[in-house]
Amino acid sequence: MTTNVGRSVPRVDGYEKVTGAHVYGVDIQIAGMLHGAVVRSPHAHARIVSIDTAAAAQAPGVEVIVTGRDFPFLFGGACQDQPYLAIDRVRYIGEPVVAIAARTEAEAQEAVDLVTVEYEELPAVFDMMEALDENAPLVHPDMDTYVKGGHVIVPHTNINTLWTFQCGDVEAGFAEADHIFEHEFSAHAISPAALEPHVSVAKYDPVTGGYTLWLPTDRPFQMRGELTSSLGVTSDKVRIIVTGVGGSFGGKNTLISETISVALARHSGGRPVRVEFTREEDLVASTTRVPAVMRLKTGVTNDGMLTARTAEIVWDSGAYTANTPGVAIRGSSTIVGPYRVPNVSIESRQVYTNRAITGSYRGYGTTQVTWACESQMDIMAAELGIDPVSFRLRNAYEEGDPYINEQIMHGVGLHESLKRSAEEIGWGEVDRAPAPHLRRGKGIATMIKPTATPTSSNAVIKVEHDGRVTVLVAAPEIGAGQSTVLAQMAADSIGVPLDSIVIPGTDTAFTPFNGPVASSRTTYHVGNAIMLAGAEVREKILRAAGEIMELEPVSLDLMDGVIYHDGERITTVADMLGSFGFLDGYSITAEARYSPKGSPLLKAPGPYEWMSSIFWMFATHAVEVEVDIETGQVRVVKVAAAQDVGRAIHPLGCEQQIEGGVMMGISNGLFEQYKGSGGKIANSSFADYKLATMPDLPEIVPIIVESEHSEAPYGAKGVGEPGAAPTAAAIANALYDAVGIRLMDTPLTAESIREAIEALAEEQASEAGRSQ
Amino acid sequence: MLELEFTVNGSPRKIESEARLTLLEILRETFMLTGAKEACGVGECGNCMVLIDGVATPSCLVLAGDAGGTAIETIEGLASDGELDPVQRAFVDAGAFQCGFCTPGMVMTAKAFLRDNPDPEPEAVKQALSGVLCRCGTYSRIMRAIDQLTGRGI
Amino acid sequence: MQRLRRFEYHEPATIDEATGILAAAGDDARVLAGGTDLVIDMKTGRMRPSTVVNLKGITGLAGIEEAEGGVRIGALTKVTAVEASELVARRCPALNQAAAVLASPSVRVLATIGGNIGRASPASDLGPPLIVHGATVAVESPEGPREDLVEDLYVGPVTTTLASHEIITSVFIPATPRRFGSAHLKIGSRGGGTDISMVGVSAAMTLDADGSIVDAVIALASVAPTPMRAPDAEGALIGETPSEEVFAAAATAAAGECRPISDLRASASHRVALVRVLTTRALSAALEIARNGEVS
Repeated sequence: MTTNVGRSVPRVDGYEKVTGAHVYGVDIQIAGMLHGAVVRSPHAHARIVSIDTAAAAQAPGVEVIVTGRDFPFLFGGACQDQPYLAIDRVRYIGEPVVAIAARTEAEAQEAVDLVTVEYEELPAVFDMMEALDENAPLVHPDMDTYVKGGHVIVPHTNINTLWTFQCGDVEAGFAEADHIFEHEFSAHAISPAALEPHVSVAKYDPVTGGYTLWLPTDRPFQMRGELTSSLGVTSDKVRIIVTGVGGSFGGKNTLISETISVALARHSGGRPVRVEFTREEDLVASTTRVPAVMRLKTGVTNDGMLTARTAEIVWDSGAYTANTPGVAIRGSSTIVGPYRVPNVSIESRQVYTNRAITGSYRGYGTTQVTWACESQMDIMAAELGIDPVSFRLRNAYEEGDPYINEQIMHGVGLHESLKRSAEEIGWGEVDRAPAPHLRRGKGIATMIKPTATPTSSNAVIKVEHDGRVTVLVAAPEIGAGQSTVLAQMAADSIGVPLDSIVIPGTDTAFTPFNGPVASSRTTYHVGNAIMLAGAEVREKILRAAGEIMELEPVSLDLMDGVIYHDGERITTVADMLGSFGFLDGYSITAEARYSPKGSPLLKAPGPYEWMSSIFWMFATHAVEVEVDIETGQVRVVKVAAAQDVGRAIHPLGCEQQIEGGVMMGISNGLFEQYKGSGGKIANSSFADYKLATMPDLPEIVPIIVESEHSEAPYGAKGVGEPGAAPTAAAIANALYDAVGIRLMDTPLTAESIREAIEALAEEQASEAGRSQ
Repeated sequence: MLELEFTVNGSPRKIESEARLTLLEILRETFMLTGAKEACGVGECGNCMVLIDGVATPSCLVLAGDAGGTAIETIEGLASDGELDPVQRAFVDAGAFQCGFCTPGMVMTAKAFLRDNPDPEPEAVKQALSGVLCRCGTYSRIMRAIDQLTGRGI
Repeated sequence: MQRLRRFEYHEPATIDEATGILAAAGDDARVLAGGTDLVIDMKTGRMRPSTVVNLKGITGLAGIEEAEGGVRIGALTKVTAVEASELVARRCPALNQAAAVLASPSVRVLATIGGNIGRASPASDLGPPLIVHGATVAVESPEGPREDLVEDLYVGPVTTTLASHEIITSVFIPATPRRFGSAHLKIGSRGGGTDISMVGVSAAMTLDADGSIVDAVIALASVAPTPMRAPDAEGALIGETPSEEVFAAAATAAAGECRPISDLRASASHRVALVRVLTTRALSAALEIARNGEVS
């Protein structure tokens, strides 16, 4: 029975959000708490000679001052290369050097000005290609001594992640091709720019040696793991209580403000310490999308069939790796796009530079590779004289196709997403010049995204004496509607009303383990765990009812909290459990774990089975743009965004994700850009780091494509990440359609567009001159 | 210290404040009205919007002295007795929020705009809300929420 | 969040009191009008004034009225009020248009016309339209009142001829002749237009009975250390009959005489290109108003 699943029920977090009552990380107040501020490095690469904190220590309100020598720990999700506070050298502008806690935030900030740090500057490297040079300054000369995960590093270079992939025979594939195309693309750094800045409150218990943290995150258990492994403590010594989360987009999943609050709390004698980043700190010293340079060589036959691709990709992790090895590897693995390419060779290198730290960002590498892959698809289609939609459909994966690692893919709504988005945008018809200085064009781009596999989720469900149902899952609501969708699945899997479901926030001391709320995995993985636990709870309720009522459980049914016997209503869950009173109470509980590990769906011959994904996501954006050929300004007129979600548990929620992804894609593709040189970010404010606003909103038509998936909870896959990935390439392809220009680098600024239009006009004029 | 008198959500208030505090700091830290948020501090994000004498205003740019003598409305004063204001109701019904961080600012800005413009054109709505950032990109749903309210009076 | 440093705060009740406090406090004092620049500068640390003088308690500094055949706008008048004023829209189209694209509506409810002039940002939105309308400001100080052309106030980026103890009290926009038109256009780095300008252009022109241009003024923002006149462009227009070619020649002249730098918002070359485009478009818009006689 699905009374809630598939319906756009009111979101369970609606009331508290529209009334301002939702408690975010920035709203947490703990009695007696101090406020932190940070002295940051003005140098991109320097040795710390001396630190003088004497004047700051005397400043009004100052209670604690901590330097890297006082708290000399290294942390990192993939590689422990990053100090909580710089210990002996700084590697990027904005790196924390000294932390100060005072009675008020204003006093802490004032004390920052009183600290003097003497530096000896070191040679720095800012360009990822230069970082590959054998004579480049080494950002981490001791890279090989760090504790790290399984990724491959190249010691005594700046290469912190090396990954290669081969399938088929690329030489043979290129030999089969009638045309070989080689292009280089680049994708730029982007701030996740969650509107809630990084913030945390940390409290240290000097008796137990344990830390309690209140913070907004999408990865509570992984953050706990980063803290425990870096501090060398057991899991009970770090407790994370997740607050409301004012957006993450990949940004709130590693230690950012937490390194400061934890270091200060350790030395504050038990007083809690709150650290909130200013927007400037958030833009300069949290994480950005990993910039990438992508060189693609692709073979195609005359009739538009892809035969081979080689890809050389360089990623810039910035000064520390954070969780970027995963971004680089996962991103690189999808550089072939959602296309059947029998012969593939990928070489991916990620380097350290003396730039701001990068990290995961909505799409985990796929926004970058989609830009390259989908731009080149259109370049090739134009050269071959094949319609871009038709070219994609000829090569696009279909149900049962093998992925590049030979996993057989199921639940592939790719063709439908291409066809329906093209139809909605009115593919092939354009009103070219609505005004003398305006030109219009249409473009399309698509993408593929795996989910992190295998990852597990646990759920504990408790039915209370009054029929209320508590669902314990470590799945923080980060805005994407997790709490509503999980409540819907819990209600339907048990057979109780939606409004009886309560999903408390995550507290690592009580909530069972979950993988991250990332990789668009929550609906599927946590949903599966809830369905397993929900089915058990349902069975226990019916068994209890059978015992109490002396009826055969098989003759009983449970719907909407009401128990039926042979179709007759006999009692409710609340009445049945409530009848036991307070002392001899009756509570029903169940727990379940879901992991796709071992699923036959993941089987793949050869060495790359780890690349199998338990489900695959596909999204296509078809766009119409209008460009002012004199100024280069672009207006996105309409976006038809089709996304394969498996099955929509909450159609409105899916549409929110798709539409929000489109806006983010427009903002990323057209406006957002870090400016500055020498590792210095010059636009560290929203006054100059521009996000899209309401007037930039085009007509967005979200199209939900549903495909079959045998192991998905109610058929649902993930929906969060893909929506932001194809937009930039679709806009670039539409610009080509409109005015014949081809941009190889993001963002697509008005300036670069106008210059390209002028260059094309000059080229055409000189060709016309020659032909006369 | 400044002595300030103003009304907050209809209640008269008298406080002593440092001149350097912004209205946002006073609301969040003196009155614990934490609905208004700071996301940029420089008037670009509108997440701190409150109504000052009926005008939607970024409270992060209003110094304490300028708050004196005004009537301030915040998101906390909009619903009465648990009954949502029509603007809040429309935001829930239309799904006009995701993470919700900008929602108080967005709702208050929409409220002030619709009070003065009960039947606006879509372009006017977009301009009126252009000072409030939503990183979740929920703009299209916010437009739908406003659309549900236009011409109906609020 | 970024907290403000301490400062001494005053709310004088009269202009004399205000200028007196400013004169006593020295160069380190700042006047607070709308706060949209000052408060931000204090947060970012660009300014750390020891004394802030809030003008809000002084009566008569806000308001828009018809005076001496022109329009007088009190210095504390909010940009929102300038934008909404039917009188401004009718008499000073360029100023009305510029007010409507200054930052976002939420900033416009705080920002004041006097503050925008006194700030002297190279990217000023209100400077160019006031220049093309020949506007003057009334200034008060302990030395007494004085008047000056808006155009002559600007010295450099965020620098004016005003001493730190001088206060702008009002702006006067003189009456315009018959067959006059003005327009303002700007482009920011985001599509929506509510943004700091990469380039702003104001154009004004007066036609004679035969439709020839008898007077033309062009002012540019974000392409020089201060808002600037474009005299070569003006020269290319005066005495000519409006046409695409004449406007193109003026636009080329404006592009040639502007002095932009490359910064984080745009390169110098992009700005030059935008000056050319916006000058042409602003001239066309101003011409249409001049021909239709809408300014009265």
